[in-house]
Amino acid sequence: MKADPAPDMVRAYLDALRSALKGSSPGLISDALADAEEHLQGEIASNPDKTEAAVLASVIETYGTPQEIAEEYKSMEAAIAGPFPKPEPKPERQAGFFGVISDARAYGALMYMLLSLATGIFYFVWAMIGISLTVPFFLFIFGIPFALLFVGSVRILSHVEGRIVEGLLGVRMPRRLPAQASASETVWARIRDSLTDIRTWSSLLYLLLMLPLGIVYFTLAVVGISLTFACVGGSLLGLVSGHSYIEFSDVAWLDHLFHTAPGLLLLMLAGGLLVFLVLHMARGIGWLHGHLAELLLVRL
Amino acid sequence: MIEETTYTRKFRKELMAGLSSLVLLAVLARAGREMYGYEIAKAVKAEGEGGLIFKQGAIYPVLRSLDTLGLLESRVEASAFGPPRRYYSITDEGRRALSEWQGAWRDMREFVDDALAAHLAGSAAVVENRA
Repeated sequence: MKADPAPDMVRAYLDALRSALKGSSPGLISDALADAEEHLQGEIASNPDKTEAAVLASVIETYGTPQEIAEEYKSMEAAIAGPFPKPEPKPERQAGFFGVISDARAYGALMYMLLSLATGIFYFVWAMIGISLTVPFFLFIFGIPFALLFVGSVRILSHVEGRIVEGLLGVRMPRRLPAQASASETVWARIRDSLTDIRTWSSLLYLLLMLPLGIVYFTLAVVGISLTFACVGGSLLGLVSGHSYIEFSDVAWLDHLFHTAPGLLLLMLAGGLLVFLVLHMARGIGWLHGHLAELLLVRL
Repeated sequence: MIEETTYTRKFRKELMAGLSSLVLLAVLARAGREMYGYEIAKAVKAEGEGGLIFKQGAIYPVLRSLDTLGLLESRVEASAFGPPRRYYSITDEGRRALSEWQGAWRDMREFVDDALAAHLAGSAAVVENRA
């Protein structure tokens, strides 16, 4: 019945499950791994008199082999898309350039861009303080628990960032915190695990990267929004009051143009167009950033 | 359990595909409280004959899909040891679905039982004729 020999350790089981799920969405893989780990650890905890290997051997009979479990998750993902009504319908490909105005994702992305400066600064400062304290602390005995604490905080921050990214950018991220090492593992084993876990490093890189990215995103968003308001508001005010407040002292013909009614109307039109351009930019950046976050924060 | 043919395993799997949702809703409705995955798996096993034909691992994706559909709701809580647990509880919509599904299941069971009874009667008649 079983094609492969039964894995005899939780880690090996999870690895087998991960490779059986290869090609599925990262969020699905992470859900499946979290479920399996919860169940296997639960089984081990409720059979304290048996060895881990003995428990696992019997669990595979009742829980299922990695291949079977992978099948279940894949068919469930397919089934939700099929006969059942989808609770969150996929946003249809917005028709044309102007469709972006009704795309909630574009506004979410714009929100994210404004937020990213604050979160970026916080992540960067946190990561820098953590790194610069962890390294010298390794000279002392409390360097080890401090390093563990820092790695834990990086995981929590990445998880929080994942929730923000999913909420505002619409990229599916893990619904739960990454699995923690079981309490029985030694401190050294935990440190070794977190140092060899590529995601610890990629999450740290993401947190550091968020400062420059946040600055760029925030600047683009603020410039885009204020330029739009300036164009529309300035020209509207000029038209209503009969006096143009728009000054282009360096470019004489533009300055002249914006002191005429047709020029102001043109400017208003440009401002209106800018709304769509800014939303398109936000949606594009949101898409790119969502995939960057998925790459660096979700264990592949 | 006797080793079954591939057809039979496939048949069981297809039968369980819809019924597992019904069973899980029933378990959670009867419990009337939040339960986490492992606890639910044990409760389903305790249901009796359904236990072995239904791999416990298959419960989790069904729970997640019921959660996505809004028939269950869930929250995550850190546990004292091991990974955090996801607690599920049934929603009002889930209870409504459960009572509707129970009706559907009763109809289906009668329909299948009738068909099987007719088949049994037919084969009994054949045996009598041969004798």
